[in-house]
Amino acid sequence: MGAVKPMPRTTTDSEVVTSEEVLTKRPWNVVVWNDPVTPMSVVVVIFRKIFGYSNNKCTQLMMAVHHEGRAIVWSGARDRAESYCVKLQVAGLQATIEHAD
Amino acid sequence: MAGNRLFVRRRDGRIEVRLNDAGRSFVRGVFSQVVTAEREPDHQWHASLHSPIDPSIDADNPLSTLSRQSETTTNAELALMCVDEQFLTNGEAWAWLTSLQVALRSVAVSNGVLSDERLSEIDADLRSEIETLQLLLFSLAECL
Repeated sequence: MGAVKPMPRTTTDSEVVTSEEVLTKRPWNVVVWNDPVTPMSVVVVIFRKIFGYSNNKCTQLMMAVHHEGRAIVWSGARDRAESYCVKLQVAGLQATIEHAD
Repeated sequence: MAGNRLFVRRRDGRIEVRLNDAGRSFVRGVFSQVVTAEREPDHQWHASLHSPIDPSIDADNPLSTLSRQSETTTNAELALMCVDEQFLTNGEAWAWLTSLQVALRSVAVSNGVLSDERLSEIDADLRSEIETLQLLLFSLAECL
């Protein structure tokens, strides 16, 4: 087979990344908020069930919620963040989503 | 200690419910309240079951509320359907746990118990209700 000579690279309109595109590609955080009544062990069980995290990670996240008032428990695409947020709310935890900084 | 547990994981994988009649009655009442709260907008727990996902956009996204409404109702309805069972599957136990937790949070929110300070000030009846729900949740979480 003959060698293929690479074409000289030029910038086209479609390759220009606008500031709007950059914004929409920022990840979304799922945030869980502390409350004064939910047992700590219940939070760990819910995190493990919904995210499949290890016990250690679930405990660390639970402690972060407890001591800091809130913790980011997952980051990624918006549709998945919304899905996780709904699951956490259905399980009885206070959860929201926010755009990552 | 094991003899005092309200829920016990058996060797066959099922979870045994060791509640007496009064305990069953309490839990049945809790699950019924959650189901009713989901269906009736005027119920005192209704607002706490519909927290916004993202306060800046949730009002424009009725589908997000709809999906939560149907999913929550399914869990509470399943819990209510198997409230008299002596043994629970993992799925049924999860429905119990989430419905009890939803009830606990709803009791707290509807009574303005949003801080440790407020929790220390509540009356005996409300404290008893919260502690009973917490006791059930503690014991069930140990099995899951």
